[in-house]
Amino acid sequence: MGWDRSRRRAFAAGFVWQDDSMHRIVVDAMGGDHAPDEIVQGAAEASLALPSAEIILVGDAAALGRLLPQMRHDGARVRVHHAPAFIEMDEKPAEALAGKPECSIAVAADLVARGDGDALVSAGNTGASVLACARRWTLLPGVRRAALAAVYPTELRRGEKDDPFSLILDVGATIDATADDLVGFAVMGSAYAKLVSQNRRPRVALLSNGTEAGKGPPAVVAANAALVETTELNFIGNIEGLDIPRGVADVVVTSGFVGNVVLKMLEGVSDTVVRLARYAHKERLAWRLGLIALSSAIDQLKSITDWQQYGGAPLLGFSHPFIKAHGRSNARAITNAIKVAQKSLAGNLCGNIARSMAELEERAHRRPRAASESGAGS
Amino acid sequence: MKPRSLIGRMTTLPSRVGQKIGLFDYIPEGLPPGAPPPRHTFRWDLDKTYLRTEFDSLADLAKSAIETAADKQAYPGATALLRALRQDGHRICIVSGSPTQMRQVLAAKLALDGVDYDEFVLKNNLKNLLRGRFRALRAQIPYKLPAMLQSRIGAPADAETLFGDDAEADAIIYCLYADIVAGRVSLTDLERVLIASRAYDDDAARILDLARRVPKHDAVNRLFIHLDRRSAPVGFKHYGPRLVPVFNYFQAALVLYGDHVLSARQVIFVALEMLDSKQYELGHLATSVQDVIRRGRIARETALQLVAEAQEAARSGALSGRTDLPPFEQISEAFRARVRELGPIDPGLIEPTAPLDYVRLVDEEHEHRRTRRKHGH
Repeated sequence: MGWDRSRRRAFAAGFVWQDDSMHRIVVDAMGGDHAPDEIVQGAAEASLALPSAEIILVGDAAALGRLLPQMRHDGARVRVHHAPAFIEMDEKPAEALAGKPECSIAVAADLVARGDGDALVSAGNTGASVLACARRWTLLPGVRRAALAAVYPTELRRGEKDDPFSLILDVGATIDATADDLVGFAVMGSAYAKLVSQNRRPRVALLSNGTEAGKGPPAVVAANAALVETTELNFIGNIEGLDIPRGVADVVVTSGFVGNVVLKMLEGVSDTVVRLARYAHKERLAWRLGLIALSSAIDQLKSITDWQQYGGAPLLGFSHPFIKAHGRSNARAITNAIKVAQKSLAGNLCGNIARSMAELEERAHRRPRAASESGAGS
Repeated sequence: MKPRSLIGRMTTLPSRVGQKIGLFDYIPEGLPPGAPPPRHTFRWDLDKTYLRTEFDSLADLAKSAIETAADKQAYPGATALLRALRQDGHRICIVSGSPTQMRQVLAAKLALDGVDYDEFVLKNNLKNLLRGRFRALRAQIPYKLPAMLQSRIGAPADAETLFGDDAEADAIIYCLYADIVAGRVSLTDLERVLIASRAYDDDAARILDLARRVPKHDAVNRLFIHLDRRSAPVGFKHYGPRLVPVFNYFQAALVLYGDHVLSARQVIFVALEMLDSKQYELGHLATSVQDVIRRGRIARETALQLVAEAQEAARSGALSGRTDLPPFEQISEAFRARVRELGPIDPGLIEPTAPLDYVRLVDEEHEHRRTRRKHGH
């Protein structure tokens, strides 16, 4: 293997030389409800499962140094980068980042920005994570706004992996979205679903208050008009909220404000169902027996829709992959989030998004653009 | 040369056949009369320590048995390390649990790798089988301990370093051997350990006799356990600072550099062999340095001193002809950066050696082995 010019450049910038197939995944070891124990455990397991990855744990070096030797791992594939502070889950993102410039998520995002890491995984404070990346990373060419995605279990399975999860984006990276932003989200979501769910032609839909193309706010109507014209995306039109759990679409595109409300509502419904089941279990023997009779089916359902197997959801649009794991992530979820990050790197997710965005832009230049703001909501 | 008579050939036939099928025990010859004792003896296990061997299932065992010398793979860096030790005139003794029937192929593998050795002891399981001593087939302590004691009686060195792995009971056997040699284990305690390890009576009597006769000196100051199963390093904490679990042989070379056994140039050769294996990259080696520092096995200053000395060695031609590597100034800066980014280290990671309860350790090992067998690995 030759010592080529790109490696010389990378080295001149102070980076340790890595083979092209070696992916360095930076993990915020202090972020999450169960940090650092579960995060370190997840990273340790990933070091054994992914021989082509190097995992960089960012956080309190003394604490991480105590934890790592307690776990099975590969000491040549997990390293520690010290960060003296961290952001709590309930801290206000902007204030916390300003007050703790050397917090783990900021140091981790810096490492990736400097080229000393290729992707980032965090289970910590979502707002702080997004902000830390937004301040340090550049957007991909053609991407106007990044989008935070989330996965939601549905009735249907999709792709070669029989993935039961659909992708919803944006769920809160920004508040508003223009028609162009929504089109960008659709392109990014589709590229991600193709790679991670191994779904060759993911069905992309816009979330609206009706399935008709003319329904919804102006940005949604205009985005619909633009997406209908794309041939690369498998755009199936608008869907309504009730279609999300049905799995009508593999990628659901919406603005950050709506996406966040929808996601929280779906989580709330799910929590309520669990609480009702607990209540029923306590309340009457007959109900309890009914639940016991259903227990194997419930377990099966739980295993199908286990979010821990998915690991995390991406922040799309930046020049590096960022996988946001759930705040309650345990070791298994973290391992899977690291695997998703590795898959994103191996499949050149960012490159694919940039290529799709460039193609979209080229088409927009070739054709007279549809009257973007012409549609009116119902 | 005069042709041997038919009678002569007939009378030596059983002996030759016995040799061929590995029926006879190999007893190390020790030092020739008048030879000075070795300065430093390095004792190596083979399977999972030097050689990448799988014997967790019957299929693995069968595969291992029919592999040729060329098929067998050494762990990256192990060959360079053994050759460096040998070049310095140290004594190399190999004690392996592989059957004597494998001698030819294993010796051929070592020859292919250019590894020279003084002793090469294998386990005579055919003899155990023929004598109906089935317990001895899997037993490690009643086999390895006398082999090492016998070897030391034949050639007592001032210092000894042992290399084993985490697959079986190497850590216990090596520590027990170290403590017997240092005179820290009484014969009564040893007898209790041998009972716990289910040694046959005659084996136990022989071990006790060897332990009585072995020259006593606190010679074993370093034990390496190659983490082939990637066991958690903390599992070896109670063995004290002399036992170092290592993920790869670059880490072993680093510790030996810290012990003033290897030079920076020799550490570079171990590193180069690992890079050539394509299983490691410079980043992995830098991370391996960080890992041993973090675990308190070498000091930061030692690592930085090594980098400086390695830079000197590289300037004087240690890396000549390596066009695949970046200039060493850049490599060394990257290594220094990896040490810097580590931050504070917990000083309480290494505990001083407390007397080990070998009977309990042997019982625990038996329990682990039973559990592993139950779970099929």
